Amino acid sequence: MSILTTPSGQASASAPADAAVPEPDAMRERSTKPGGSARRRRRGPNAQLVVGGGLIALIALAALVSLVWTPYDPTHAVAADRLLSPSLAHPMGTDRYGRDVLSGIMAGAQITLLVGTVSVLIGAAIGVPFGILAGMRPKRLGVLIMGGSDVVMAFPGLLLAIVFGAVFGGGTLSAMIALGIGSAPAFARVARSGTLQVMSMDYIFAARAANRSGLAIALRHVVPNIGGMVIVQCSVNFAIAVLAEAGLSFLGLGTLPPTPSWGRMLLDAQQFLATSAYLAIFPGVAIALAVLGFNLLGDGLRDRFDPKMRNR
Amino acid sequence: MSPTTRTLAATAAVGGLLALTACTAGATASSPSGDAHDASVTIGLTGEPVNFDLTTTAGSAIPQVLMNNVYEGLVALDQDGELQPKLAESWTVSDDGTTYDFVLEEGVTFANGEEFTADDVKFSLERIATDWAINQGKMALLDHVEVVSPTEARVVLSKPSNIWLYDMAGTVGLMFDASGIGDLANTPVGTGPYTVTERVTGDHISLAAREDYWGEAPAITDVDLRYFADVVASTNALRAGDVDMLYNMQAPDLIPQFEADDELQVIQGSSNGEILLSMNNKVAPFDDVRVRQAIAYALDRQAIMDAAWAGYGESIGAMVPPTDPYYEDLNDLYPYDPEKAQDLLAEAGVEDLEITFDVPTRPYATAVSEVVVSQLAEVGVTATIASDEFPAVWLDKVFTKHDYQMSVILAVEARDLLATFNNPDYYIGYDNSEIAPIVAAADAGSEEEWVDGMKEVAEITATDVASLPLFLFPNIVVADAQLDGIAGNAVTESLVLSGLRWD
Repeated sequence: MSILTTPSGQASASAPADAAVPEPDAMRERSTKPGGSARRRRRGPNAQLVVGGGLIALIALAALVSLVWTPYDPTHAVAADRLLSPSLAHPMGTDRYGRDVLSGIMAGAQITLLVGTVSVLIGAAIGVPFGILAGMRPKRLGVLIMGGSDVVMAFPGLLLAIVFGAVFGGGTLSAMIALGIGSAPAFARVARSGTLQVMSMDYIFAARAANRSGLAIALRHVVPNIGGMVIVQCSVNFAIAVLAEAGLSFLGLGTLPPTPSWGRMLLDAQQFLATSAYLAIFPGVAIALAVLGFNLLGDGLRDRFDPKMRNR
Repeated sequence: MSPTTRTLAATAAVGGLLALTACTAGATASSPSGDAHDASVTIGLTGEPVNFDLTTTAGSAIPQVLMNNVYEGLVALDQDGELQPKLAESWTVSDDGTTYDFVLEEGVTFANGEEFTADDVKFSLERIATDWAINQGKMALLDHVEVVSPTEARVVLSKPSNIWLYDMAGTVGLMFDASGIGDLANTPVGTGPYTVTERVTGDHISLAAREDYWGEAPAITDVDLRYFADVVASTNALRAGDVDMLYNMQAPDLIPQFEADDELQVIQGSSNGEILLSMNNKVAPFDDVRVRQAIAYALDRQAIMDAAWAGYGESIGAMVPPTDPYYEDLNDLYPYDPEKAQDLLAEAGVEDLEITFDVPTRPYATAVSEVVVSQLAEVGVTATIASDEFPAVWLDKVFTKHDYQMSVILAVEARDLLATFNNPDYYIGYDNSEIAPIVAAADAGSEEEWVDGMKEVAEITATDVASLPLFLFPNIVVADAQLDGIAGNAVTESLVLSGLRWD
């Protein structure tokens, strides 16, 4: 399992960062595609955005509803009801302890969203300031920052989380912090490339001529202009965090029982695959939909934001 | 990569994750081909020894490998739990019950070539008080050992004991050679039929039969003990024929599948192992007997066994399995009664109790803990699970440093009632001032007095809920149908290998 999630986490951790760098050539190429003009895209409905947003909204709704109501207590074990196949009473069946799977999936959405949100916030809070700094001082400081960022990036996020779990004890908190730190370089790269572009603009020269301080330029001009790219990166990293949390829980290093977690539901389902496959299918589908949703959302958002960048 | 390709790739990755999960149980391929078996067996186990020194390191993993296979004692328990001669061919007990005269087998050698004599008996037994770090209490009555002749050893106890000879069939009775204890942690030297030839941490231990073994040569000359952290990996290895036998199998829900497979046999052996919900009697809140009793009322032990272990196991009300001579049915002492539990918690002034529940990373423990946490929540007790890697972290934190409130462990030692509760320095920390005199009198009395005394001890500790035995753990063995001579009854911690043979 780790073999599989690590490379995918890694691959998508670097891919979005590169993809989000608006290389002038690529931008030009895209704008010349038939039917792909920036103006039309901005106006027309964006399928990726709608589907992605819809999926995320569904998961968010499940998480919100589960805060106040689930069909059954997701942690309540009922010996007499163990391993029931899906039925009207239990639409997704029950697990080996007699707990309702649907309730677990709903409550598991909380952990999924929590880990995603917090790790993305941590990653952005660390990565973006450093990225802007590196973009505004590209000579020595920038090289140093990006060198450091590359070192962290060379370390797979999942591996970092496993090390954190071993040192500080497994659990949701250490997973969130480790995934956040692991995703910071991706944010730094995006922020730096955006900043570099912004810094070559005429209004920056104007601001400099007006003797504006570096901080003022960063806040007034850089941050608003790279915001869109950072939001796209947030969405992509959210997907990575969801997958990583599931992977960590699957390895027993993520969310501790009895708090419902999709990854651990998959783990528990392992030995029942031959007899009760639904135990693996439902949490598996939930994870897949969450990842798909955030990725689609990220793609849709990029299509929204990238043309803006170009027009400036 | 275009956005859409990437999305597809990410989705494919998730799908792959699912597919991989599916693969783990999909490997139902061919079972062991079974035709041409050589003289080797691979056995799948869980819980690897951290080292080989059973004189200083607790836990059942080390004796599981070494006892009766590498080390031997003067006496041993057979599969029915009866005492049998081993290195001692016979023995007599004096009328006052304090002097044991053992006649030793001749021609016995240790794996290092040294001869086994009465000097080794003296060396091994007298060394326990000075050099062992655990289980010393079991040899506390030893006064001294006389070497009468090379093949005659006289053991003198300070007072008579009903338990001592039985304990001699456990780890404290194992025989060591004075020149063979230099590196107990890595190189065990005993008189047994096997020697350890290789140990790869995290993977396997290899044993090879000795050519100069004094007894009957075992049919299987090479044994590989493979350790699995993951239940599913172990059952897949069995199905794929990579292991020939899973001992103490930890996936009860798979039993029906294995039983349906003609190429496999399922043995449900008896067991001395209690799943013990241990409570630290020395720290709050479990220093209050009412809180411990409340826990006993709050838990539906039958439901725990049903939900966590698919109903495999046996209900017990005290730390005594039904196979012990002093067994008494105490199942009804604390019937499931959540209201009474809440009353007791209120009486103790600890409503809305929050505790930490240290759970070792073993399948039975995680399964039991989820159900226990769920049931405790019903009476307002919030148990937060802390996962302790087993054995290393759990043994260090819970067992050695007593840094815990509640834990759960499989206690596999035979007749471990006294070891568990009659020692205030044990990790349970039960105040034994009431039972200690009863134990002493019972041990020194007639057999009848002993049985009565031990029954009383069992009842007192169960009433005090010194800790709560949840159920008797089944010793489930799944093996290639052609493998014979499997010691399926877990009478001691030991997995006896010498009887194994291919059909």
